Amino acid sequence: MIPTFHIMEDLLAARAQMALSLGFHIVFAAIGMAMPFLMAISHYQWLRTGRQVYFDVSRAWSRGVAIFFATGAVSGTALSFELGLLWPKFMQHAGPIIGMPFSWEGTAFFVEAIALGLFLYGRKRLNRWVHWGIGVVVGISGVLSGIFVVCANAWMNNPSGFDWIGGQAANINPVAAMFNPGWKTESLHMILAAFEATGFAVAGVHALMLLFRPSSCHREAFRIALLVGACAALIQPLSGDRLAKGTAARQPLKLAAMESHFETSTFAPLIVGGLPDATAREVRHGIPVPGLLSFLAKGDIRAEVKGLNDFPRVLWPPLLPVHVAFQIMVGCGTALAGLALLSLFFIWRKPAWLGNRRFLILVVLATPLGFLALEAGWVVTEVGRQPWIIYSIMKTAEAVTPMPGLVYPFLLFSAVYLFLTVVVAWLMLRHIRAVARNYPSAMPEGGSHA
Amino acid sequence: MLEVAPFMLWVVIGFLAFSLLLYCLLAGADFGAGVLEIFMSGERREAQRGIIGKAMGPVWEANHIWLILIVVILFTGFPEVYSRVSVNLHIPLTAMLLGVIARGCSFTFRHYDAVKGRSQRMYSGFFIFSSVWTPFCLGVVMGALTLGNINPAAAGYAEGFIHPWFRPFPLALGLFTIALFAFLAAVYLIGESPEGELRLSFVRKARWASAATVLAGGVVFVSAHLDGLELIPQFLRSKTAMGCLLLATLSLPLLWLALRNAQIWRARMLAGMQVILILAGWMWLQFPVLVHMPQGDLTFFNAHAPERTLVNLAWALIVGGAFILPALFYLFRVFKRDEE
Ligand code: HDD
Ligand code: HEM
Ligand code: HEM
Repeated sequence: MIPTFHIMEDLLAARAQMALSLGFHIVFAAIGMAMPFLMAISHYQWLRTGRQVYFDVSRAWSRGVAIFFATGAVSGTALSFELGLLWPKFMQHAGPIIGMPFSWEGTAFFVEAIALGLFLYGRKRLNRWVHWGIGVVVGISGVLSGIFVVCANAWMNNPSGFDWIGGQAANINPVAAMFNPGWKTESLHMILAAFEATGFAVAGVHALMLLFRPSSCHREAFRIALLVGACAALIQPLSGDRLAKGTAARQPLKLAAMESHFETSTFAPLIVGGLPDATAREVRHGIPVPGLLSFLAKGDIRAEVKGLNDFPRVLWPPLLPVHVAFQIMVGCGTALAGLALLSLFFIWRKPAWLGNRRFLILVVLATPLGFLALEAGWVVTEVGRQPWIIYSIMKTAEAVTPMPGLVYPFLLFSAVYLFLTVVVAWLMLRHIRAVARNYPSAMPEGGSHA
Repeated sequence: MLEVAPFMLWVVIGFLAFSLLLYCLLAGADFGAGVLEIFMSGERREAQRGIIGKAMGPVWEANHIWLILIVVILFTGFPEVYSRVSVNLHIPLTAMLLGVIARGCSFTFRHYDAVKGRSQRMYSGFFIFSSVWTPFCLGVVMGALTLGNINPAAAGYAEGFIHPWFRPFPLALGLFTIALFAFLAAVYLIGESPEGELRLSFVRKARWASAATVLAGGVVFVSAHLDGLELIPQFLRSKTAMGCLLLATLSLPLLWLALRNAQIWRARMLAGMQVILILAGWMWLQFPVLVHMPQGDLTFFNAHAPERTLVNLAWALIVGGAFILPALFYLFRVFKRDEE
């Protein structure tokens, strides 16, 4: 007799564990993609100008980044097992179809890990430019691995490259599966997100330091991070718009859930804010902007946009999280795009204003927004795909492992990730405090602080 | 089925075996270093930890990727195996994952914490524990694949999720893996430490570890017998597997001699060869079976992915290998060239 565990349903526990693990990993993955480029920029400045401050910036960053890399590597390893531990039936069918991006991803990781070892430990042993080039390789292979893994995710949203016959995949074409209709827009959006989120988060930390302990080290670090984050943030809304058009074409139900659009209509309104009510089939407290949804989804304010009511109720994803997460992502994206305009204007035209206290406070406030948008965006994509694990092919409930008692591994992993979050945050605090001691250019100016 | 994609299937099998071998050799030595830390104490401990940190720091992440490669090859090339193993060995695999997470994090945190204070003790504690725990779980999982208790038709919780691995043989193989990795690490670290008392301490550890490995190997055979797994007759039937095992055991005195004469590279080569022989013997015995099961084994030839996938996977591995192997070689050369 298989004992039953009533604390939490197995499927729910599996979904929660997957969401937790991915939500945790993505933070480190994003940093792993963007930070090598930030370091490379600063390092390049040092090689070109010979100014110590750039050397200090890239060195101080690289010590912090090593911690993120290790955490990203182990949480990613956990994921590659969890795919099977939680969703064996999914992997049994999906493995041969989307294994290709994963095997390329493996190659990219390998190159990245090798380059990382050389970069972090090889400063004294390698020629300066070789060392710099290796830093760039770390970044490129990180971005490539991001693209590959998002290809796999795009395939879950846009299954292609196989025929589904009687519950089995036939005529598998791994190349067509990898380059499915969604791969380009989704991976571009993800890469931009990584640069935007990391850029603004790093800029925010240095802005905070500039407010309290101004030094040339923090000033240069702030400028580089802000520049990278701002460039990404300007393009991101355009990329998001392209992505939304693909969603409208290929996953109309997900789009309707994101927008809480119930009735199929022309001149469809975009609802800003609001709480969808699936039972009453209406949105409360939202502000409709007529025609905007039609325009965003189809490029024409008169276009017809399918509503939730056209689909069977059992196939709706959970409306509230999808809609709210979408609002959060777009809200953060808009705010950061605005801040990006201001920042770029300052960087090009008014460098002196970069040190303005009010501007610094603004950037400090924006520190978490990029990562908030990143997590929210994944909630939109993943929860919005429910109840499907492979869109229109296989339900999440069919894929879950028969292993009972999944609530226990879920609780265990929650505890581990919570603990790791606390330790990494604490390590970063210690690291930032120590920067002023270890690097001459980070010495607070004016000597007012010990 | 063999005729479907004979060559590409062999390429994939070859890479799988190669990855497992390198994972055990390279990451194995990294884990073993953590195991050895149990036996360090007194004023020498800090110096010994420094040697381990220096030896592992630049390479552990690269060494660790072999595991990821194994997983990717399994789920792409042999999806049924991956999902079968993931279901029935959920518990030891989860346990192993926790070890993987704890080991990587604690090692890095220990090295990169900006303040070297009391927290070092916490990191070391986690590092040592997870360095013992992870190889143990790895051995248990491998043992379960051989044992043949994985039963998809199992009716109960215990039959489905506990009995496949919680048996003397897998548990003994877990212990054996710990000893084997510690042995590799000790031999390897001899050459990483400066001459004198420090080096001698690793020589002593290498001797103890080789003895522990032999002992644990004996326990594995006894426990196999307890589990009704006729390991000795199987070895006797296969000349190659037997040859591998005999060679590994009989070359031990050569190793001891090399240790006594402080011949670092000879000792390393011998230790590496012994581990390869042990693994090769096991693989030979197991081939072509991936998972032994009562209703019929999952083998390389009946559980592989469709041909197109195999061809793609093989090309990815070949092209990837062309990038990785030279890069890896460069990495090791940069960090290992200036040994005395
Ligand atoms: C810094 C993070 C960030 C920011 C500012 C934005 N996004 Fe985003 N978005 C993500 C980060 C993200 C992501 C990385 O979390 C997702 C999840 C999957 C993906 O590829 O990107 C995502 C998914 C995602 C999807 C779901 C696609 C699908 O599942 O079919 C849409 C429609 C958008 N985004 C649209 C936008 C729009 C219109 C934005 C306007 C500003 C925007 N995003 C800003
Ligand atoms: C790292 C960024 C990602 C985040 C934050 C994320 C988030 C989530 C969340 C919140 C869920 C739970 C959805 C629900 O059950 O309601 C989920 C499920 C899942 N995700 Fe993702 N996801 C990410 C990327 C990926 C990628 C790249 C894959 C590709 C293979 C993937 C595969 C899955 C699978 C297999 C499930 C379980 C089945 C399901 O619930 O549909 N995820 N993810
Ligand atoms: C099912 C989902 C995923 C799996 C199985 C997975 C697997 C892994 C693994 C095994 C690693 C460790 C590599 C190493 O040791 O260096 C890793 C790191 C990484 N992952 Fe993921 N990953 C997933 C989701 C994602 C997503 C959605 C992204 C981003 C778009 C991503 C981007 C990265 C990057 C850039 C790294 C290297 C950076 C670092 O090591 O910190 N991964 N992942």
